[in-house]
Amino acid sequence: MHEMSIAMSIISIACKEAEKDGASSISNIELDVGKLSGVMIDSLNFCYESVCKGTLAENSTLSINEVPARASCKKCNHTFEIDSFMALCPQCESYEIDILQGRELKLKAVSVN
Amino acid sequence: MCDTCGCGSDSTTFRKHGEDHHHHGDGHSHNHDHHDHGHSHDHKHTQDRTITIEQDILGENNLLAQRNRGYFEAKNVFAINLVSSPGSGKTTLLEKTLATLKEEIPSAVIEGDQQTMNDADRIAKTGVPVLQINTGNGCHLDAEMIHTAYGELKLQDNSALFIENVGNLVCPALFDLGEDKRVVVISVTEGDDKPLKYPTMFDAADICIINKIDLLPYVQFDVEKCKEYALQVNHHLEFFEVSATTGEGMETWYNWLKEHAKV
Repeated sequence: MHEMSIAMSIISIACKEAEKDGASSISNIELDVGKLSGVMIDSLNFCYESVCKGTLAENSTLSINEVPARASCKKCNHTFEIDSFMALCPQCESYEIDILQGRELKLKAVSVN
Repeated sequence: MCDTCGCGSDSTTFRKHGEDHHHHGDGHSHNHDHHDHGHSHDHKHTQDRTITIEQDILGENNLLAQRNRGYFEAKNVFAINLVSSPGSGKTTLLEKTLATLKEEIPSAVIEGDQQTMNDADRIAKTGVPVLQINTGNGCHLDAEMIHTAYGELKLQDNSALFIENVGNLVCPALFDLGEDKRVVVISVTEGDDKPLKYPTMFDAADICIINKIDLLPYVQFDVEKCKEYALQVNHHLEFFEVSATTGEGMETWYNWLKEHAKV
């Protein structure tokens, strides 16, 4: 379950930034998670709860923006939204696509007080 | 770069309720419209604030991986990260590869498993230096573990480093170790639709080795279908069909290694 390592990285980055800012606690952490990032949001939420105990982020909430995935076709240059890595170009039906967006795994912002 | 306005600063930006945001270290500040919270709030509560971070969550691992990559490049070490589900034959593939190529390509091995020295003991019999990482409950190797491991292994200049990741077709996909090539191994005793079931791993790989092809007469595994599925996920994949046990197809794999490990 790599979501545990990911949750630990999130807390580590967030606590470091909050401490730098002189905050006494973290109330919310905002993330961008791409549809093809390889992270299960349910598992991440589960791990997050246990990892934030005893840190500045204890009792904080996690806001996750799911980033849709987009690809461009190498054959006809069409760009389109995709649901998975196995997507077909809707225009020319080629599998040769480059993924433009959807792999994001980013800590956007931390709300503190 | 600041995501709010696009002005050039790579440092963290801070933004407080009811205040201008400012960049650390770039010596200017300026106004933006109030950001959208999607909820109403009282601007008198100034101690509640939002710190804009915009950082890759895996950034620390990626940075360490790049450091490893730089070290390998400087020493001309060709690094390979072998990933697969447990039991696909990674260790046997390595044993045979090392036994055949160790005179031509000086090599070292990092073994990753949750527990035991079993794989390292097998590799040690080939005479190649090996270090075992036991991750305990960990499901993947990360760049920091590799950094510690190659420090202890004392890699030779002009050599190859084979990293056998923890047997797991999910988690190791997300963790760059600094390798030159990522090799996913699938055996014909698994389903030929594995690339569709675990696409993240196939997407992150450069090479796909289909192992245990000597067992094809006994199993329902369609090699062409498996390759087609894998290419649907990642059209850059290059394939090798081998049996590490009988040696069938291994020559092509050895030639590829000799060509890429410029020792």
